[in-house]
Amino acid sequence: MMFENTLDKYAHSNSLKDVNTYYKFIFAIITMIVCLISTSPVIPLIIFLLLSYLILFKAEIPYKFYLKFASVPFIFAFLTFLFMGFFYGVNSHILELGIFNLSVTSDGFNLGFLVFSRIIGCFACLAFLSLTTPMTDLFSIMDNMKIPKIVLEIAMLMYRYIFLFLDEAINMYHSQETRLGYSNLKRTYKSMGILASNLFIKTWISGEQAYVAMESRCYDGTIKSVKNKESIKNIKIKNILLLLILEATLIIGTIYTASFRLF
Amino acid sequence: MNIIETKSISYIYPDGTKALEDVDFKAKKGKIVALLGPNGAGKSTLFLQFNGILQPSSGNVVIDGESLSYQKKNLLKVRQKVGIVFQNPDDQLFAPTVMEDVAFGPMNIGLSTDEVERRVKEALNKVGMEGFENKAPHHLSGGQKKRVAIAGILAMKPEIMVLDEPTSGLDPRGASQILRLLYQLNKEGMTIVISTHDVDLVPLYAYNVYIISEGKIIKEGSPQEVFEDVKTIRKANLRLPRIAHLMEILEKEDQLPFDKPYPLTIGEARRRILQEFKE
Repeated sequence: MMFENTLDKYAHSNSLKDVNTYYKFIFAIITMIVCLISTSPVIPLIIFLLLSYLILFKAEIPYKFYLKFASVPFIFAFLTFLFMGFFYGVNSHILELGIFNLSVTSDGFNLGFLVFSRIIGCFACLAFLSLTTPMTDLFSIMDNMKIPKIVLEIAMLMYRYIFLFLDEAINMYHSQETRLGYSNLKRTYKSMGILASNLFIKTWISGEQAYVAMESRCYDGTIKSVKNKESIKNIKIKNILLLLILEATLIIGTIYTASFRLF
Repeated sequence: MNIIETKSISYIYPDGTKALEDVDFKAKKGKIVALLGPNGAGKSTLFLQFNGILQPSSGNVVIDGESLSYQKKNLLKVRQKVGIVFQNPDDQLFAPTVMEDVAFGPMNIGLSTDEVERRVKEALNKVGMEGFENKAPHHLSGGQKKRVAIAGILAMKPEIMVLDEPTSGLDPRGASQILRLLYQLNKEGMTIVISTHDVDLVPLYAYNVYIISEGKIIKEGSPQEVFEDVKTIRKANLRLPRIAHLMEILEKEDQLPFDKPYPLTIGEARRRILQEFKE
């Protein structure tokens, strides 16, 4: 019925959940922007370490979960780094592989490493936001910020139905597994195919049934929502100053380390 | 006065299957009506006619004396008046939090934020789910979800509540809680229409019972009248309430002097048995 270790559970039960949502949102977004404007890998890496510290020690997210969660963007970032290192750049070679005439150039390496650091830096910002803030609070403030309702409605419905369909998919998977549907590679392919197509049909039918239920409650095309009680005005001056100082430090850092290169 | 009345309605699905044939269904104002029938008989299809989601291919639907017109304005009015709670709460709960879901109906009616908040609080209180406002639906159990679905309809303050198998999938306590709630609402004046398989509970609350099979109404009447016609009941893949069945066996197999009408509830059976013993 429910998933013990999903993002959603941590978002609802972490130690930073009662911090003003606007504050967390602004912090995450501004930090992410700083991460992206930096022209050297130093500041993004610092941002990654800083936010990981906040996630692990302030929000008290279990490190095992965070490691697993971070592994996907890490692998992606690392692969990007490798490919950029080998195939980009026109400068002198710093490493020769000997096979296929592959070699790593200095500017390829630098660019790859910069992209890598930006990916993990921005990831940490978004991870911070998603692990400390329930989705519902985010929807509320996005609505207040005048993000188009259609975007929010789709996001809201997707959020609700992800859990339902995850549940259904797991049930179908178990039912296939008990009947040896995943006992060898060929059967695995077939079973997964059946699961995917069946799930698609179920989601379609669910959508139609949900529509009937909503129509029965006088749905007229837009989901009117109830406003959140939080306000941007509730953030203490002390905290705003803290945030400004932090971001200013980071920005100065980006200017200062702008030309730092590893090679 | 019949607050819901269908006059000889038939409904044919787009693929040609006849789901309802010449159905005359009446729900008297302020009473509880039960609709019994095997799976696939057309119960859900019939309910969807009551609030205009489906339109009959022939015949017409009359709500509170007015023939149902399928224009938007009229449909909105009917859907506020006739609230339908569907069988699977996962089909109905779509919002990220309980509060937003229950507020959906009242907000669509166009009430002020304060009034909506008041209604949500009242509805959640009535179903015993106060305190769950900020919970996400996937964190609730089946019975809790059912109660939230009911709250969502209650918040619209309907005059008639139609429930499609409200006790299915609930543990005995949950089922009796729901029925007690419905009984309470009925005492406060709400007309209630329930479809169910749970034959044992029907005589406890139903004023009128309809049996539907293969799209046709095959029996209607008070619980006593309906359950007396044992043949029709069994033909419709249903059964007598256990108590009545026991009485039937005692009469037919053991020649004990319990003749029709069989008592349908524990209370009635107790009285009848004590009566026989005293003689």
